[in-house]
Amino acid sequence: MLDRRLLTHFDWWFAGTILGMAVLGILTIYSANSLAMSPFRQNLYLRQIIWVGLGLVALVAACLVSYRTLARFAYLLFGVNLLLLLLVLVIGKAGLGAHRWLRIGGFAFQPSEFAKLGLVLFLARYFDDHRERLREPRIMLLPAALTGLCMLLVLKQPDLGTALLLGFIALSLMLMLGLDWRHLLPFAAGGVALAPLLWMFLKDYQRRRILVFLNPDLDPLGAGYHIAQSKIAVGSGGFLGKGWLAASQSQLNFLPLNHTDFIFAVLAEQWGFLGSLLVLLAYFYIISKGLHIARECTDLFAALLAAGISAMLAIQVLINTAMVLGMMPVVGIPLPLLSYGGSSLLATMLGLGLLLNIYMRRFLY
Amino acid sequence: MDPLFVPPAHTLTPRIRTAVLCIAVGFLVLLLRLWYLQILEGNRYFMLSTSNRLRVRPVEAPRGFILDRNGEILVENRPTFDLYVTPEDVTSPKEVAAALAEILRVTPAEIEARLAEGSLQPYQPLLLRKDLDERMMVAVEERKLDLPGVSLRIRPVRAYPGGGMAANLLGYVSEVNQAQLAREEYQDFRPGDNIGQAGVERRFDAFIRGLDGGEQVEVDARGRAVRLVSRIEPRSGSNIYLTIDKRIQEAAEAAFAGKKGAVVAMNPTTGEILAMVSRPSYDPNLFAQRLSGEDWQRIATDPNHPLQNRAFQAQYPPGSVFKLIVAIAGLESGALTPETKFNCPGYFYLGNVRFDDWKKGGHGTLDLRGAIVNSCNVYFYQAGLRVGIEEITRVARAFGLGEPPGLDLGDEAKGHLPDPAPRLRRGWSAGNTVVASIGQGLVVTSPMQLLTMVSAIANGGTIYRPWVVKKIASLSGEILEEYEPAPVRQVQVKPETLAFIRQAMLGVVNEGTGARAKVPGLPIGGKTGTAQVVRKGEGKGQAELKDHGWFVSFAPVDNPQIALVVLVENGGFGGQVAAPVAKAIYEAALGPRQPFLRPEIAEAREQDIGD
Repeated sequence: MLDRRLLTHFDWWFAGTILGMAVLGILTIYSANSLAMSPFRQNLYLRQIIWVGLGLVALVAACLVSYRTLARFAYLLFGVNLLLLLLVLVIGKAGLGAHRWLRIGGFAFQPSEFAKLGLVLFLARYFDDHRERLREPRIMLLPAALTGLCMLLVLKQPDLGTALLLGFIALSLMLMLGLDWRHLLPFAAGGVALAPLLWMFLKDYQRRRILVFLNPDLDPLGAGYHIAQSKIAVGSGGFLGKGWLAASQSQLNFLPLNHTDFIFAVLAEQWGFLGSLLVLLAYFYIISKGLHIARECTDLFAALLAAGISAMLAIQVLINTAMVLGMMPVVGIPLPLLSYGGSSLLATMLGLGLLLNIYMRRFLY
Repeated sequence: MDPLFVPPAHTLTPRIRTAVLCIAVGFLVLLLRLWYLQILEGNRYFMLSTSNRLRVRPVEAPRGFILDRNGEILVENRPTFDLYVTPEDVTSPKEVAAALAEILRVTPAEIEARLAEGSLQPYQPLLLRKDLDERMMVAVEERKLDLPGVSLRIRPVRAYPGGGMAANLLGYVSEVNQAQLAREEYQDFRPGDNIGQAGVERRFDAFIRGLDGGEQVEVDARGRAVRLVSRIEPRSGSNIYLTIDKRIQEAAEAAFAGKKGAVVAMNPTTGEILAMVSRPSYDPNLFAQRLSGEDWQRIATDPNHPLQNRAFQAQYPPGSVFKLIVAIAGLESGALTPETKFNCPGYFYLGNVRFDDWKKGGHGTLDLRGAIVNSCNVYFYQAGLRVGIEEITRVARAFGLGEPPGLDLGDEAKGHLPDPAPRLRRGWSAGNTVVASIGQGLVVTSPMQLLTMVSAIANGGTIYRPWVVKKIASLSGEILEEYEPAPVRQVQVKPETLAFIRQAMLGVVNEGTGARAKVPGLPIGGKTGTAQVVRKGEGKGQAELKDHGWFVSFAPVDNPQIALVVLVENGGFGGQVAAPVAKAIYEAALGPRQPFLRPEIAEAREQDIGD
């Protein structure tokens, strides 16, 4: 299934950039927690090394099987993903604490991270199946409904960030498919009408975050503190940064979640404007490459898959960075490849593997 | 265009160009923002991060209360005062050290040494002593003017007004330890944080602990707090309402005074635990403050294991209590009927091996009821052989023996039963069956298992999961969680079988081995048991090798409200040591009633109280 022709089309630059970013993530997690008081935190980077290893395996695995084969199982995979999301709610209800995780053996994972990929797969296959009727508005009903279900399940966990992300991914795919802007107007109107309802649905802390974003003085110690500290960390990095392991602001626990959602702040403090610029350029390279792949495809399924994965990465990077830079309310969205977390990393690597998969086979079909 | 020919991918192309453009604009905005923060405002933020930064001082949230089913307080908080010194503000260290040494009753050198340690961060208040007593408080307040830099801070501390009451159930609170800090679930804890370490305090810690608040202070270049920027009040934890009834718990504690073992009371129709005593125990108040190493050593190395909750974490042979299972198995399989009779001459020969009865001279010829009432061993040796070990273990399993009852408060003993599959019972002989029939040998149970078993007998065969938390309410009274009875299964057993067993158990208390549990006017069904620790003849007389006494019971027989298990470790006969404990609890919980039996039957003779 993998002949030499495919290997010659393997994009080594692309794969190298991904690996480089993952290694940068490990280094940053190490430094972010080097002064932590919990030995568990201090050893997080070791876990991340394992996750990167597994992620690379996942990336290679995602290259091996032709995406055509994958298309056959798209509905099944999405269905399994929905079931897992449901399972999280059921099991989460029984236990205390976090409701985002499923434990299998000693191994915890977040189905909501994989749901992003599952949704893209489903949408790509669905639109490919109905390619001749894409101009009919009612074709969009089922994808919209299932996306909504997916969002609801994730929102219930509660995970506002990922739920919004799922919505954005579906929306961007529909737009790229040629959905008329005007078709969105009723949805937008509905959204505005439903906003008060959604507001009631939100947990206390989620409401507070939005309020605090609108007016940071409301809560300078809680969510406002978060944004303020993040801005101080980023800003104090200056042009060249303070250097690895020398970032007092983000290392001294002023910045909670410094190894997950706020890892970009650690990075910006340590490597300054120059480092941040390079990281953002690397992301832009990966994303535009993905979109380029989508454009070159003659196969609608592959094109949509590539476009969806690229959109997923782009939205995550933009939202997470904007949040760290104090331009958005704090919502829990990790930075792909850099943030600590096995599920996020595995899902990202699988997605990137699929991009490579499509790229390698672009001349086959 | 030909409608069948759709070149789909290319319809994406223009939109993808737009997408790339949008994303590029997004990245550009991020870069501009970075430029603004890091280059234009970089110096200001750099200053903020090094010289003029914001500090957060956590303020511990008071833990929620633990109350009984009627809202009586079992666990609360008590305000304590901690003594702090800010080295920078101490004008004359020698004088202050001398004064403080006098108040705290230590040497001035100790205080001076602490002050010297703190001089590295002179603006950081230094904790000198936790939980000042009344006298120290007064002294510090009186001499406030002579003690510049000395301050008192208030802090809530866990208080258990009942002392050791229900200690193993409630658990205790202490600082998170090093081993815990190394684990993932504790990654958000700071060293020094308090956390529930056992029992309800640990299992429901996430609800009880509340949300720590904090003070945000702006400190100057030298770390001195310049001003308080803001203060977030800590949010108190939720209140836990237990199923425990304080009145019954107190009665059980009092009745069990001076004994070793466990007492558990349950509502047999719901599985709610009404009281739980485990002895020996500890005083959880000791843990609330930093426990002295000496105290900890004493508790941790105590050979009596006071930290173990014997109610569900320890297991013992059930002794004659297990005869109920043999009887049910016999009646269900048809191997026994109420009329089945065996003779008891005081011993039984299997081949040439002799098995004795507990009563010298034997009980004579008995039917099944008489055998239960008098707890005749010889009858059950023969009955067990007739029923067979397969059937006995099958029924035992159905009644919840051999599996953890599901209390979910930490490790649970699951007990042990002989394997029902013959090929797995290697070397099993008829002699083993004889021994198992009176609840010795390979049969082991926890008190909680026998309680769910007797509850099922009382309620008509439903095994309930035992539970201790009724509801969880926030400080404002909003119900966060409410728990319901959870039936595990309905045991497949004929109603008349259980009715017969209940009547036989009534006989145990009214005229048999459980007579010492008798409460006039209250129909109690019970069964005594005595578990041998060693074989007869070995080590008799040594206290730690004395038999364990059991008494399982429920009342009123016709309308069960309370089921009870009493286990007295190394206490001797269950009828003598455990039954009176049950009597005292029933008297307190259900009160004396009108006599319903003729007095001549109610009087049981002293010598029959054996097992």
